[in-house]
Amino acid sequence: MNRQTQGYVAAVIALILLVLLPLQFGGKSALTVMHLDVSILSEMLLFAIAGMSVNLLLGYTGQMSFGNAAYFGLGAYGAGLSIHYLNVNFLVGTLIGTVAAIVGALIVGPFLLRRRGIYFALLTLAFGQVFYFIAYRANQFTGGEDGMSFPRPYFGFGPWRTQLHEATFYYLMLLVFIAVLVIFWLIVRSPFGRTCQAIRQNELRVRYLGLDTNRFIYVSLVVSAAMAGLAGALYGLLIMFAAPLMLDWNQSGDFVMIMILGGAGTIWGPVVGSVIYVIGKDIVSTITQTWQIYIGALFVICVLAFPRGLLGSFLYAIARRDSGAPVVEEAIPHAVWEVGTPASPAAVAAEQKEL
Amino acid sequence: MAEILLEAKGVSKRFGGVLAVNNVSVQVEKGSIYAVIGPNGAGKTTFFNTLSGYYLPDGGQVIYQGREITDLPNWQRIQLGMSRTFQTPSIFPELSVYDNLLIGVQSQKKIAFRLRLPSAARKREIDERIEELLGFVNLVHLKDRPVAELSHGSQRLCEIAMSLSVDPTIVLLDEPMAGLAEAETERIMRVIRDLHVRLGLTVLFVEHNMRVVLSLAHRISVLDRGSLLAEGTPNEISNNQTVREAYLGQEVVSRV
Repeated sequence: MNRQTQGYVAAVIALILLVLLPLQFGGKSALTVMHLDVSILSEMLLFAIAGMSVNLLLGYTGQMSFGNAAYFGLGAYGAGLSIHYLNVNFLVGTLIGTVAAIVGALIVGPFLLRRRGIYFALLTLAFGQVFYFIAYRANQFTGGEDGMSFPRPYFGFGPWRTQLHEATFYYLMLLVFIAVLVIFWLIVRSPFGRTCQAIRQNELRVRYLGLDTNRFIYVSLVVSAAMAGLAGALYGLLIMFAAPLMLDWNQSGDFVMIMILGGAGTIWGPVVGSVIYVIGKDIVSTITQTWQIYIGALFVICVLAFPRGLLGSFLYAIARRDSGAPVVEEAIPHAVWEVGTPASPAAVAAEQKEL
Repeated sequence: MAEILLEAKGVSKRFGGVLAVNNVSVQVEKGSIYAVIGPNGAGKTTFFNTLSGYYLPDGGQVIYQGREITDLPNWQRIQLGMSRTFQTPSIFPELSVYDNLLIGVQSQKKIAFRLRLPSAARKREIDERIEELLGFVNLVHLKDRPVAELSHGSQRLCEIAMSLSVDPTIVLLDEPMAGLAEAETERIMRVIRDLHVRLGLTVLFVEHNMRVVLSLAHRISVLDRGSLLAEGTPNEISNNQTVREAYLGQEVVSRV
């Protein structure tokens, strides 16, 4: 079994576990044994999608985004406000939330694209705070600091509509998560995704290969915002609440942390990061109020000892072991060059055969 | 007279109070090898950068194939058929040699922006093109290695192959021999001559190494303190009294 097959098997096992965890066997599920609610799994999946959204822009395209919570929050408010004021159903609410995030990124994008590196990072922070203060100040409309509660509307329409309860909601989240994962996998392997990874390593060279890198970063930003917006809208529907803190830079920082804990630039890294983060946030926090100290300590250890993230470092170690000792570059035989005589194709072919 | 492919008309570039390039004009004939030489700080790399669009000149015009491109963004110049290398090889260090070339080939085939994977036929076409480019610079055997693990000379060859991946008409090389051992210099010289002889490309390069310049170039421009000192064939340049005094030094010339 080669490494790729092993990877697929690991992914399938993980997905089977995710399907089985909430199922009851003899009146008890694995979750109830652990005294956990199924909504914690939904939360893990949604934070994983948010972590993946940062991963696309930062981990793959290399643009430091510290403002992805803005799109997450736009998603939550987009869903919440449309449900509260327009009485839309579940799907339309989710769609409006996602579109709100996309529109936000489309507007902010041209300003962000004027800068790179630390200045890009500062602009993402600043624009994130703009959305935060809008939600905070627009009291009558958004509920201001207290946030806004809204009901979870029916899923589907007409005779097919049902009310989603925590377990069915979770399975819907699992479907969404798998779909996002597959789309993400396709994007990073596409010509577009490969060019984005090249931009992370050397943007100037990409420009000198005839490509307008701004276009790539813009699309990467918008796709990233769409993912964050989708996660935010569904998270709003999960907790039936939207608050300014969801737009805050602390929240953005948590998404970056999720990505780095698991491994930036790997497809599954943010998923691993999200599991650790939600365990800290929802489980360790019931034991001790100082849970953030432990997550923070883990983060520091991770950055110092596993700079590629927990999963990223593991995958890197495997890859190093597989490739074995570095191959020493052999000296290359030179054909004697005679000035002014073009080499015949046969001579060139013969020369290459020697190598 | 053959067609002029690339022309600089009175190009100037100023950095603060320093006039790095002062009213320099050159004409590069299609299909020729053109060299720009000069002592350290002569402004040759700055001049080179105004041609490739790394800097926009403060005065003068850059004309390519009869079209003014003075203020054209660098990536659009590549699409017109210019490409370049850098003094320090500008590559994607973590990517394999294959993937380094893939980015340019995708760009040339206008599929870099696609979100779906290329078809099997297209993939084969891309692979063949990459093999061809690697064959040209003799790097086929290193195809799957990360470029960061290659020797400096091989990295430079990889960069030259990358600059060819976009199917250029003219290749601009910024000090292609910088930091190379003698044996590697030979390798690169062969490749540059191949660009001209086997691929029929126009080459413009900036170089320190006098032996390289005199044996490769058809025409040479000598820059000194930002200004054009002399222009001519290798013979004319090595016999030019002003150039000898200002730059070459008696012993270098006598060795040639």
